[in-house]
Amino acid sequence: MDFFLQLLVSGIAAGLVYGFIGMGFAMIYRATGVVNFAQGELMMLVAYIAFTLAATFKLGFWPLLFATVVVSVLIGLVIEVLLIRPMLGQPVFATVMVTIGLAVIIRSVVVLLWGADPMPLATGLSRDPIRFGPAGVYPAQLYALGIMAAVVAGLWAFFRYSRVGIAMRATANLQTVALLMGIDVKRIFALSWALSAMLAAIAGVLVGVIYDLEPGMWLVGLRSFPAVILGGLDSVFGAALGGVLIGVVENMSEGYIGRGMKEIAGFVLILVVLMVRPYGLFGRPDIERV
Amino acid sequence: MRSRTYKENYRQLLALTDSVPVVVWSVVLVAVLALAPLLIGKYFTTLVLLMMITAVGVLGLNLLTGNAGLISLGHSGFLAVGAYAAGIVAGKLGWPMPLALLAGGVTAALAGLVVGIPSLRLKGLYLAITTMAFAVIINHLILNGGKLTGGSEGLSVPQPALFGVPLATEGGFYYVVLAVLVLAVFVTLNLLRSRVGRALMAIREHDIAARAMGVDLVRWKLLAFMVSAFYTGIAGGLLAYYTRYLNVDSFSLLISIEALSMLIVGGLGSVAGALMGTVFIFALNEGLSLLFGALGSGLQSSAAFEIKGIVYGLAIVLFLRFEPDGLVGRWRDLKHYWTHWPFRF
Repeated sequence: MDFFLQLLVSGIAAGLVYGFIGMGFAMIYRATGVVNFAQGELMMLVAYIAFTLAATFKLGFWPLLFATVVVSVLIGLVIEVLLIRPMLGQPVFATVMVTIGLAVIIRSVVVLLWGADPMPLATGLSRDPIRFGPAGVYPAQLYALGIMAAVVAGLWAFFRYSRVGIAMRATANLQTVALLMGIDVKRIFALSWALSAMLAAIAGVLVGVIYDLEPGMWLVGLRSFPAVILGGLDSVFGAALGGVLIGVVENMSEGYIGRGMKEIAGFVLILVVLMVRPYGLFGRPDIERV
Repeated sequence: MRSRTYKENYRQLLALTDSVPVVVWSVVLVAVLALAPLLIGKYFTTLVLLMMITAVGVLGLNLLTGNAGLISLGHSGFLAVGAYAAGIVAGKLGWPMPLALLAGGVTAALAGLVVGIPSLRLKGLYLAITTMAFAVIINHLILNGGKLTGGSEGLSVPQPALFGVPLATEGGFYYVVLAVLVLAVFVTLNLLRSRVGRALMAIREHDIAARAMGVDLVRWKLLAFMVSAFYTGIAGGLLAYYTRYLNVDSFSLLISIEALSMLIVGGLGSVAGALMGTVFIFALNEGLSLLFGALGSGLQSSAAFEIKGIVYGLAIVLFLRFEPDGLVGRWRDLKHYWTHWPFRF
């Protein structure tokens, strides 16, 4: 039982990061129909920028998070305007390939600028685990839980009550009608990228604090795909839940089935889930007209 | 100027092309490729060899992604399955090369069937991510395959031999690869202009509409997956004989992405495009290496490697941005311009 609890707690903690990245995927997908394959790389880039910010200005955890989010949102907007917007009207696949190209570029840029050696992201946060009975979590993982709760609540309120949030939902629902109702769809796209970059920044800082910064960080982005697929590509909150689920499943399979299962448990899980529900748990099926 | 094509008998209808220049240039191309090992050095011969192996795999991917419109990020998995299957039957059971290559192709095709079944319900990016999941799982299985696959230690493959005669990599084996490539091109061209090709294209344009017109989606989608995986499996088998040593690390997801970028640069859905894209990406990589070699020791090798990565990514992005039809589209425009000048149409 102790072992189970331990796996559960560390699974949830690891899953939160998947959740943040998965929400970033979903945010862009629901607005634009594009999966941003560079989400993991964006997270890595932002984490390294956070490292430089932390080293230059000696920031604590919260100021650093805030500064990183600001920088990341700017990067997200630049990517949208420079690379994604010109692809409007092209097939979705072409835009997806652009994000894959972007991913390749970012990976190289990061190694070129910061080198390939692992570095800790120092924010003055202690790395001693806090014990809860048999299970232990890092302080940063507790922060992650708190931030996740705040972000989910904030996004829910944003989509529910703010004008812009409602416009975003309308665009996700039916783009043409949204355009006809006077919504500036281009601006909504840009906003989606900005929000997604914000989520990437949070994920990046957390990964940097909990683990280390290293050029293989983008693999976390790859392993977040099951999270967003499980929740349904167009469901932001589904991605958050999916992330936590995947984290737990990965840890459980590693603990009970065998070493190395962590790497593939999520992918196996989504293969099974997609057979039953082709649009994930909370995704909305596309209704096509011929 | 000939304004129309007239077909007067069945032979003309069945011919692959009615254009004499196309035939002549194709023969010239094959002849040049056949003579290449004698003219260019060992280094460039292996480069061309690797390029031809890649082209076989890219042709397979083109069939699935370009013609049937089913996006696959899992072809590195098929490549790995083909390579390991060929490597295992050749190394452990002592099968001769042609049989081993075939075994690689067939095993990959079966894997394609396994991936194809979930694909029947999935669309677009859901499918792409599912195929990616497949590739990740395959790599894991190979890594934990124990003695069968050699795990992380890898697997060594015997020297290629044909009818008991051992083949040198830059000699006999080169011609085997060339023959496989020519065969693959012929089969693909014929496949595409037949009922199969038309069914695949109908599925690409709109699968529900295709179904309404009597295209059996289950049958053709699975067939597309199997044939595509077969090609890639054969390429994997050739790769196994070329490297003589297999390791999971050489079958990363990057391979799938690289193959897709070759397709996009060349032009999706066209055989000529797949070949052109392969040549272009290889030439780009090689050109950059030469450039950094010429710049000398001023740049560290790791920095050069990363800059290559950046240029490579930029090439993909710029092609998609400015030339969405790929090289083959540019070539078409050029021909059009040439024949119709001074008119624009």
